[in-house]
This record gives sequence, C-alpha cells and structure tokens, in this order.
Amino acid sequence: MIQTIRLEQLLRDTPTPLSRHLVTRPTGRAVRGGIERAVAETGCAMAVLDFTEVGLLDMSCADEVVAKLLLAGIACHVVLAGLREDQLEAVDHVLRHHGLAAVALVADSGPYVLGLADEDMRRAFGCVCATGPMTSEALADQLGWRSERAAETLAGLVAQRLACAEGDEFHPLPLP
Amino acid sequence: MGDAVTRVVEVPATFDDRSFDQFAGAIGAWPPDARLLIDARGVQWVSPYGLVGLLSAAQALKDQSCPLPLFTMPQNDEVNRYWARSGFYDHAEGLFELHGKVPKHAGGNTETLLAVSPIRAIDDVHRAVTDISTNASRIVVEQLGIKAQETMRFGMALSEACQNIVEHSGSIGWVAAQSYTWRRKLGRKVVVMAVSDSGIGFRRSLEALHARRIGDRWGDGAAIEAGLIQNVSRFRDPGRGQGLALIKRFVLQWDGKIAIRSGTARLSIVPKWDDDVPLAEHIPYFPGSQVQITIPAPEAA
Repeated sequence: MIQTIRLEQLLRDTPTPLSRHLVTRPTGRAVRGGIERAVAETGCAMAVLDFTEVGLLDMSCADEVVAKLLLAGIACHVVLAGLREDQLEAVDHVLRHHGLAAVALVADSGPYVLGLADEDMRRAFGCVCATGPMTSEALADQLGWRSERAAETLAGLVAQRLACAEGDEFHPLPLP
Repeated sequence: MGDAVTRVVEVPATFDDRSFDQFAGAIGAWPPDARLLIDARGVQWVSPYGLVGLLSAAQALKDQSCPLPLFTMPQNDEVNRYWARSGFYDHAEGLFELHGKVPKHAGGNTETLLAVSPIRAIDDVHRAVTDISTNASRIVVEQLGIKAQETMRFGMALSEACQNIVEHSGSIGWVAAQSYTWRRKLGRKVVVMAVSDSGIGFRRSLEALHARRIGDRWGDGAAIEAGLIQNVSRFRDPGRGQGLALIKRFVLQWDGKIAIRSGTARLSIVPKWDDDVPLAEHIPYFPGSQVQITIPAPEAA
C-alpha cells in the first residue's frame, strides 16, 4: 500500500502551527512525529512525502524530517514528491551527510536519486526504472558490465531502499 | 558595582561590522565597571550589524544585572528616522534609557528586507523567515536582479543563523536585513543580513566536545573555525552542524562574504572584492556571537 502524506497539512496540524515553512528542528520533529503516526496507523509499505505548498525547507528541518525518518526505518520505502529546486538541494545535502539516499519524483522528469549514490547506482536505478524487474545478469548485459559489478550495484540499491528484491529479480519501487 | 560613575561609549560615525571593534573596545572589560552611556549622537550611517550589535550590548548588560545603559540618539534627523524605521527603537525601550525624541515611523523602508526583530524562541525564527521571504521577492528580485526562485535561499540562510541563537546561545538575539548600494567597495547593491546575540559564544558552546581535540590552539578563533569551517556542533547528534555549512555554500555561490565575531575573534570567508583578513584575533571582547552575511548583486545586474 502506498500512502501519500502532505507535509503542508501536517504543518497545519502541529499543535502550534507557526508558518508554512519547514524550518527549525522542533518543527521538523513535530512533522516527523506526524509522519510516523500516519505510517503506523496504516502500516503502509511505502510513504510518499508530498512537499507541495511547503514554503522554505532549511537543513535542520530536512535533517529532522527526511534523514531521521530514513534512519529510523519506520516505513519500508520513502519517496519524496513536490520538492522545488532549493528543497531538493537541502534534502540532497542532509542525505549525503548521513550516507543515505532516497527517490524523488520531480515534475517533468522521471524518478531521481537524491543523496549518496555513486554513478553505477544511478545508472542501475535508471535501468530498473525504465525496464522494469530485471536480474543482475540482464543489467550486466544492458550496461556491458561484469555480472559481479551488476549484482553488487543492485544489492546497493536495495540496501539504500531505492529498489526491491524478489528472488533473483530487482524491481523498481511501485511509484504512484 | 554601583551606578554612580557613568562611562561614555561613543558609537562610530559609520557603524558597521568593521568599526564594531572600536565600539567594543570603548566598552572595555565585561561586565563594565561603570554605567554606560552609549553616545550615538555623531552617527551618520549604520548597518544592520551595528543596530543588532547595539541591542545585544544592552541585552548582555541586562543579562549581567548591570545598570540600564543610557542612549543618546543620532543628532542627524534623517539618520534618526532611519533608526526608527528599521525598528531599532521598538526594541531599545526597556534595554536602554533613551535620550532624545523617537521619531514616528509610518510605513517601512523600501530597502528593509527585515526590520530589527528579536529572536527568543522558535516562533520568532518562523516569523523572521516569513517576513524575509515576503520582502525578498520584492527587494532581492527587483533591486539585485536575482532570480525569484533563488530568493528562498536567503530565507534558508537566515533561518539557520537565527536557530543558532535559540539552540546554542543561551540568551536572546536580534536579526535585521537591509539592501543598499555599496559604492566604496563594489559600486553595486548588496543585501546584508546581520544576526547577533549576547549569549555564551562559540568557544563556550563548543568547548566541552571540541577543546581537547584542538588543544593549545583552542580559543575564540579556533572555536569559530570549528563551527564554520569544520561544521562541528556542541551536540553529539551526527546531523548537527549543517546549518553553517548551508550558509557557507550560499555565500560562496553568490560570491558573498560571511563574517562571524565571537568573544575576541572574527573569522571571515573573504571574497575577492573585500579586503578583510580571514582571521582577526585578540580584538576587543564582546559577548555572544555576531554574524554578518553580505550578498552582492550579480555583476551583470
């Protein structure tokens, strides 16, 4: 099950709503608490965090909302949607800082990896998203890699929760 | 300490981050051994840094239970009206015994990005961010020729700088932002954001976790360096310390300048257009931390 969580709504629902900006750590902690409660209530496998209509997003809040949520491992997969360029930059920075990665859905473009992912991971992610479920051998064939390189890279995608593994096959996240 | 003796501290005629050392030197040792009379009569020009620095001085005196300082307003009517429009007097009452007539200030200043505002708690940070975001789209875009989507970064930088007051200083602080033409150095418009508090400063904030690692070099300068260059924090949380990293990136992206003063040192990331020294140590002591971020209009604008 995919659950879309509108962060602007969570901001408004915090006990003392302050503004439409995701700034400051206490605000971030309150919003993360809202996400965790929403995920716990539905037991969803994937949470789409929708940043549409959120004003500013500062580093402190990006760290509290996105990085700490991923570190806590509450939802199986987290996808970020509706981020503007400045917000993408803030999230990318905090994810790299923690050695994390996440999928972002950017308008007018396909799914995109934010955070710490090397070039191999980004290419493999692109192939899995474009082609659909594939084995490491199929990826190796497609990219002209040795099979070990393909297997290692796909395992990396799964470890970063950027793809799912089912038997020998690697699946793209079931994006909305 | 009695209040029988009053010492006059003259505010420099051009009062900005550079002449602030002269002001701090005139105050002398902290806490001062006499009641202070802050004499701003001769001031001809003040930057946001000067305004928030003055309020921090008064707040520090209050925090240390010193007698309420006296304050004589600028004699130049136009200058004094600017101080009123900037919001300085809205907050100076209660921190100073004001001498002079506070000019009425209807309406804001067209170049004020953010009037002098207190930062006491998280809701103040939200308010400051909201205000600067609203004004940035008007001033930064129209006057500096910076693209509208880039103005968000001004709010982000300001948010991080203001949060440091709430999270680290142990006192309250002040923030202000203004745009003006910097004829002397650049011949271009700049946006200047200044944040100042009267709290514990970088050295005391970072001492427990980082002094031993740095060893003999530990002091105000090394502490600012640890915060700004190495992005360390007083918290063990590995996610901390990224706020100043963002500000630094923002400043470098825009060929801007950041200068942080704390205690007896000032560390700056100096662009080519400025002649400041990267690190000034053994400058006159001033409580808390003072941050100035200067962003020039792009050269083509």
